[in-house]
Amino acid sequence: MFNDLKQWFGSGKPWVWLNAGAVSTSIVMVAALLALIAVRGLGHFWAKPILEADYIEPDGSVSRIIGEINDSEVVPVERVQDASLELPKGTETVTRLLIKTGNRDTVGLDFRWILQPRIQEKRYPEELMAVERYEWGNFYGYIKEVRKDGEVIASGDNAWPALQPLIDRAAELRDKIKEIEHDKIGSINYQIEQLRLDKRRLELDNVAEGSPEYQEIAEERAALQQQYQGYQAQLKELYQRIGRDSFTGVVMGGQEVNIPLSKVVRAYRPNAMGMFDKIVFYFAKLWEFVSDDPREANTEGGIFPAIFGTVMMVILMSIFVTPFGVIAAVYLREYAKQGPLTRLIRIAVNNLAGVPSIVYGVFGLGFFVYFLGGNIDQLFFPEALPAPTFGTGGLFWASLTLAILTLPVVIVATEEGLSRIPRSIREGSLALGATKAETLWRTVLPMSSPAMMTGLILAVARAAGEVAPLMLVGVVKLAPSLPLDTNAPFLHLDRKFMHLGFHIYDVGFQSPNVEAARPLVYATALLLVLVIVMLNLAAIAIRNHLREKYRALEH
Amino acid sequence: MDNMNIGQHISQQYNAELEDIRNRVMAMGGMVEQQLTAAIEALVNGDSKQGEDVISGDYKVNAMEVSIDEECSRVLARRQPAASDLRLIVAVIKTITDLERIGDQAERVGRMAVSLADADINKKQFVELQHMGNHVRQMLHDALDAFARMDVDAALNVAREDIKVDKEYESLMRQLITFMMEDPRTITRVLDVMWASRALERIGDHASNICEYVIYLVMGKDVRHTSLDQMEEEVRGER
Amino acid sequence: MSESAPTHGVDISAMEREPRNRHLQDENICLEVKDLDLYYGDKQALKRVNMQIPRQRVSAFIGPSGCGKSTLLRCFNRMNDLVDGVRIDGRIELEGEDMYDRNVNVAELRRRVGMVFQKPNPFPKSIYENVAYGLRIMGKKGRRELDEVVEKALRGAALWDEVKDRLHDSALGLSGGQQQRLVIARAIAIEPEVLLLDEPASALDPISTLKIEELIYELKDHYTIVIVTHNMQQAARVSDYTAFMYMGELVEFGDTDTLFTNPKKRQTEDYITGRYG
Repeated sequence: MFNDLKQWFGSGKPWVWLNAGAVSTSIVMVAALLALIAVRGLGHFWAKPILEADYIEPDGSVSRIIGEINDSEVVPVERVQDASLELPKGTETVTRLLIKTGNRDTVGLDFRWILQPRIQEKRYPEELMAVERYEWGNFYGYIKEVRKDGEVIASGDNAWPALQPLIDRAAELRDKIKEIEHDKIGSINYQIEQLRLDKRRLELDNVAEGSPEYQEIAEERAALQQQYQGYQAQLKELYQRIGRDSFTGVVMGGQEVNIPLSKVVRAYRPNAMGMFDKIVFYFAKLWEFVSDDPREANTEGGIFPAIFGTVMMVILMSIFVTPFGVIAAVYLREYAKQGPLTRLIRIAVNNLAGVPSIVYGVFGLGFFVYFLGGNIDQLFFPEALPAPTFGTGGLFWASLTLAILTLPVVIVATEEGLSRIPRSIREGSLALGATKAETLWRTVLPMSSPAMMTGLILAVARAAGEVAPLMLVGVVKLAPSLPLDTNAPFLHLDRKFMHLGFHIYDVGFQSPNVEAARPLVYATALLLVLVIVMLNLAAIAIRNHLREKYRALEH
Repeated sequence: MDNMNIGQHISQQYNAELEDIRNRVMAMGGMVEQQLTAAIEALVNGDSKQGEDVISGDYKVNAMEVSIDEECSRVLARRQPAASDLRLIVAVIKTITDLERIGDQAERVGRMAVSLADADINKKQFVELQHMGNHVRQMLHDALDAFARMDVDAALNVAREDIKVDKEYESLMRQLITFMMEDPRTITRVLDVMWASRALERIGDHASNICEYVIYLVMGKDVRHTSLDQMEEEVRGER
Repeated sequence: MSESAPTHGVDISAMEREPRNRHLQDENICLEVKDLDLYYGDKQALKRVNMQIPRQRVSAFIGPSGCGKSTLLRCFNRMNDLVDGVRIDGRIELEGEDMYDRNVNVAELRRRVGMVFQKPNPFPKSIYENVAYGLRIMGKKGRRELDEVVEKALRGAALWDEVKDRLHDSALGLSGGQQQRLVIARAIAIEPEVLLLDEPASALDPISTLKIEELIYELKDHYTIVIVTHNMQQAARVSDYTAFMYMGELVEFGDTDTLFTNPKKRQTEDYITGRYG
């Protein structure tokens, strides 16, 4: 027996099993993590049926409850502390349901826990309607009438068919309003702001009042104002048109509410939807999630600005870190005299990789934002003071901070790559009369580019997942505009931006409506993982291409 | 480079091969020497039996030449010898050719011995012939000795002896011509003697050639087709 | 010589005219090494080397590993400069000028003294770009000029017919022997005066080796060639002059025919015949 065991150990099989076990555990953990966030996050966009039930309140009165079942849990009876609830003897647990009742404008709360035993009767009537709104969360209830300019144009069974085209019309108008408000007027505002800064600059430069420059500015400004007036008039008209329609609905308490269609995102009857409708609806919601701006304190709508900000920041970070890291590595490996000093520097660089990221955030805030940014403002943007331009967190500083954070990775990987270039290649180039710099530039660097890409992949993976330092140097809960737009100079490095990681934190913990936001946390987390995977895949594809190009060297 | 150190190659096999070739050359030399001695004895003693033996023994010499030649080609192909090894092989290839020729000449002398054995002839001629034969045999012996010991001086001495042999041959010729003039009936027999002496003279030349190869082998200098004085100058100049 | 002479069409007089043995003292000197000492740190790798390398001839360096032959070769285009801790005393003159002079432009020197290494080291670029590399370094850009030089160099390296249809394919797709000839083409594209070959065929199969040797034979009309080789037969086959080095010293330098049949020094003899040194 003992010998058998000894032989088994001697055969080396236990180690194979141990390794296999470790690998499978890792795989299972990764898969489970992804599965969890995928299920929790993606389930959110499915059109859930709306429940209508009679509910016996603890005081004995009966009320009607309408809403989506969001969650259910089994709790011990004692925890319910509901004396009036009559339960069969010996019952120890009771099921409670979390109902999303919506209609925050009438009941004040979106969510409500109810006890399963108190529910009298569950119904799923097809006429029940859910309406997503720009204010006050969802509406759940029955539609009663549709109005145009206050006049009822349809009611009862006719109301629902009449509603949909009007919602579409409102959406169209809303798009127009958004275009004017956001793009056109936004652009004018930006230009007016620039003019104001120009004027301020002239003042700071002590250009005498009444000189032609002022005149020019005033003229431009007047022209912009005129344009602005024009748009304003258009807007006014559009607002009038969009405010025309409304509908009246009946909520669960029997109350009637009048909701203008200008506030409606979409209306649907989940209980009446077939599977196909639900699938279409699902993808529409998913698309909205990745392509729209957030609304309702980030608990509804999409997270496009956060995706955009994350990708933008990672790309900028890559642009900063690559040349910097490569140059540093080239110097360390190729030019610096190898000795105690270079060894010390290498140790320092390697240790930098282990510094907690929040420390980089503090460094970024203190050095980049306050010191560098403050000075840049003094020197180049005095006209905007006291409002800071670069003297506050922004995309540029965030990218730079992350570039510093990921610099060690790039340096180490690049050095590794440089040291792998065979000596014969360098000598071959030198023997042809190339100088050291020419050799580096024409052969060594291209050949070590796969290693640089490996470093960059690691850097991207690390940077895309960082949140803590960003909170100090430029990430915000809600950015008014994207860092990239149509106003010159198009890329606004000084703007604050949104970030998926921070968005998760914000929605999960800082939201006024935690229950509503929880699925979004998962969905956003899933998206963050996907974005990182995509960025990595892109980098890996580039690296593999480069590797293929320089493949045969490793002989 | 006086002593040829064959036995110092890194490859033991190579050592063995070169040693083998050298030993075979010495063996062949010994065999040729023996043939020559026998032929001269047969001639002088009129021993036709011995003469027959010499004639029938020549094939051994020929076979030996072929086998040494093969061995040399083998070494050339497989070892690509250089410097002294290369010179050894070249010298051996040439030496065995000369040895084989000496064997042929000995066979010729043997034939003459057979044909002269029963003839009634003035034995006085044979004294001179015997003297020359011994002289030539000594030369061959010394040449082989020089080859064995890689001795340039000995080789030079042998080459010097060849001049004496040539002189002896000349005087023997004159003597034989006199005989023929005195008694034309003996012409046939005297001619045989003449052939025999001619063969001995050729053997002297071949022995001298072998010595030239020894000088080439040891010093890397080609002293063929040069006068003795030039040869000596070359050899001395090197020291 | 009458037509009926039994010479089988061979001009015997020509054979008599041509001197079989070359003599170093009759040659033009291209490279001259004077009292060269080289140290790697404390270790002396070359000791008092003096030699004269004749122009437009093939000179071979042979010797056991670590004898300094590659080190000496790498002195000729100052490749040893790249190694840390190297110290050089003495002079090496290229056409009478000291190449270790302070004012010498090393890159330019290396253009005059090309080098081919033991292992083929083509750059991971196309065949064309490999050959054009040196020219681009020199700042030549004209398409037609480059095309011309590339073709000439590839023809010179006896590679043109094999690669002319795939000039823009990666050089790494060539066989080892072709790569080595490509590297030679790359070196001769910039028309150096001297071509240093550091064991150019040691990584190749016998047929490729023969092609390289044939190439060396053809190239010597235009270039002074110095070749380091471990293969004595190769040195014997391709070179006009051979140097034997041992323990950092130049033991013997002379015409190849003499050195391989009748070396002057006992050490040379022992080495080329494969004896214990």
